[in-house]
Amino acid sequence: MLDINNLAVMAGGITLVRGFSVYLKRGELVALAGPSGSGKTTLLRTIAGLVDPAEGQILLDDRTPEQHEWPRFRRRVILVQQRPTVFEGSVEDNLKRPFRYRSAGKAYSRDDAVRLLETFLIEPERLTQEARSLSEGQQQRICLVRALLLEPDVLLLDEPTSALDASAIEAVESLLREEVTRRKAGALIVTHDEQQADRWCDRTIHLDREDRNA
Amino acid sequence: MPESGDVIILGWADLLIATVLVVIAGMVSVALRIRLEKQLAIATIRTVVQLLLIGYVLRMVFELDHPVGVLAIMLVMLAAASHAAVRRSSRTFPGDMTLAFGTLLLTGFVTTFTVTSLIIGVEPWFRPQYVIPLVGMILGNGLTGISLCLDNILESLVKRRNEVEMELAHGASKWEAAVGPLSEGVRRGMIPIINSMMVVGIVSLPGMMTGQILANTDPAEAVKYQIVVMFMLAAATSIGCMVMALLIYWRCFNTHHQLKDEFILTRKG
Repeated sequence: MLDINNLAVMAGGITLVRGFSVYLKRGELVALAGPSGSGKTTLLRTIAGLVDPAEGQILLDDRTPEQHEWPRFRRRVILVQQRPTVFEGSVEDNLKRPFRYRSAGKAYSRDDAVRLLETFLIEPERLTQEARSLSEGQQQRICLVRALLLEPDVLLLDEPTSALDASAIEAVESLLREEVTRRKAGALIVTHDEQQADRWCDRTIHLDREDRNA
Repeated sequence: MPESGDVIILGWADLLIATVLVVIAGMVSVALRIRLEKQLAIATIRTVVQLLLIGYVLRMVFELDHPVGVLAIMLVMLAAASHAAVRRSSRTFPGDMTLAFGTLLLTGFVTTFTVTSLIIGVEPWFRPQYVIPLVGMILGNGLTGISLCLDNILESLVKRRNEVEMELAHGASKWEAAVGPLSEGVRRGMIPIINSMMVVGIVSLPGMMTGQILANTDPAEAVKYQIVVMFMLAAATSIGCMVMALLIYWRCFNTHHQLKDEFILTRKG
């Protein structure tokens, strides 16, 4: 499905990652581990198409982002940033937001939203609550639900459990795995926690070592 | 105070008396230790020198009565206005002055000549007494508008980068991701002119109308000119802000629908 070939990524004129390759199959969760500053976030942003790679190629179902058209590519390969980004307005306004884009290709379903919110341990009554009034952990889960509602092929998750407490981490890990398997999607998950990577993902790519190809 | 017709002409002695007023402001600064005396002195000298210069330049252009003179002075005003427009913003990016110049050129010239040719019916089209003051007013208001618009949009793109990128990352096109900050910027740019339209005649008598009244025009007639001017300024500011927003959009997003915020810089000093 997602084929990344020999990617080099740069930030501020410095090459952070070189020769990164991975083939992500449907239903697979792959962890990207490495110390801070090793370029994990920049790599994820590059794969999401928010910045261009210095070299290398990204293919989704054998087609480049240009061939898919950039917005359509990004709608299928969704990046969820580490710091939760919610807009002014209710939780439901936030969940509906991506369905306004021309690339959405489907309509917002409140039933799906309620089901996913419950799955992620957020009471459906919160749909009408101001999103910015929620805790950071809740906002982080709202962002995951917002991405999942679009049913992407690939989820790029940057430290998706960084603001969660232990019980929520466990729930989010198992529920995300279930969702990914059920929808035959794939996920690339950035984490600095090696134990989490081993426990949660099918395999781990270490960005601080030379053997980054997988 | 000699009189020419009904208009009272000011002599140099009158200007000297007026200087006392600035001296009072300087004394306030000294008494309260707000340390603005030096800036006030510089501002006073600049006011005198700049206005005397423009007075003589305008007299020459009026006497010359030729389109080249009018266009030349318009270009100088335009360059100064675009410089001031980008200087007021706390953010900058390469080429912003050229974009401001282009925006003010388009809105300034189009609006001025629409008003002078279609509404006032100035003959010949370049008559400096009409064209130059109108361009001056448009540029003055236009630069306030577009600098607020520019500042607001650049600030949004930097501070709300996460929001813009969240939208892009969920499949928004660059336009869908940018339209929020862009329209907010245009709104901010237009607020001052709308505010002044709200209070004109109640709180303030605009400079042009005041000038015409001082020059003995019937106030009811001066008002008509002022209405035209206010509408002209509203049109120029809104078109200017919109063009500026579109140019920033064109400059800050690429064909891969990415935000190129790395070249938006913070202005030093």
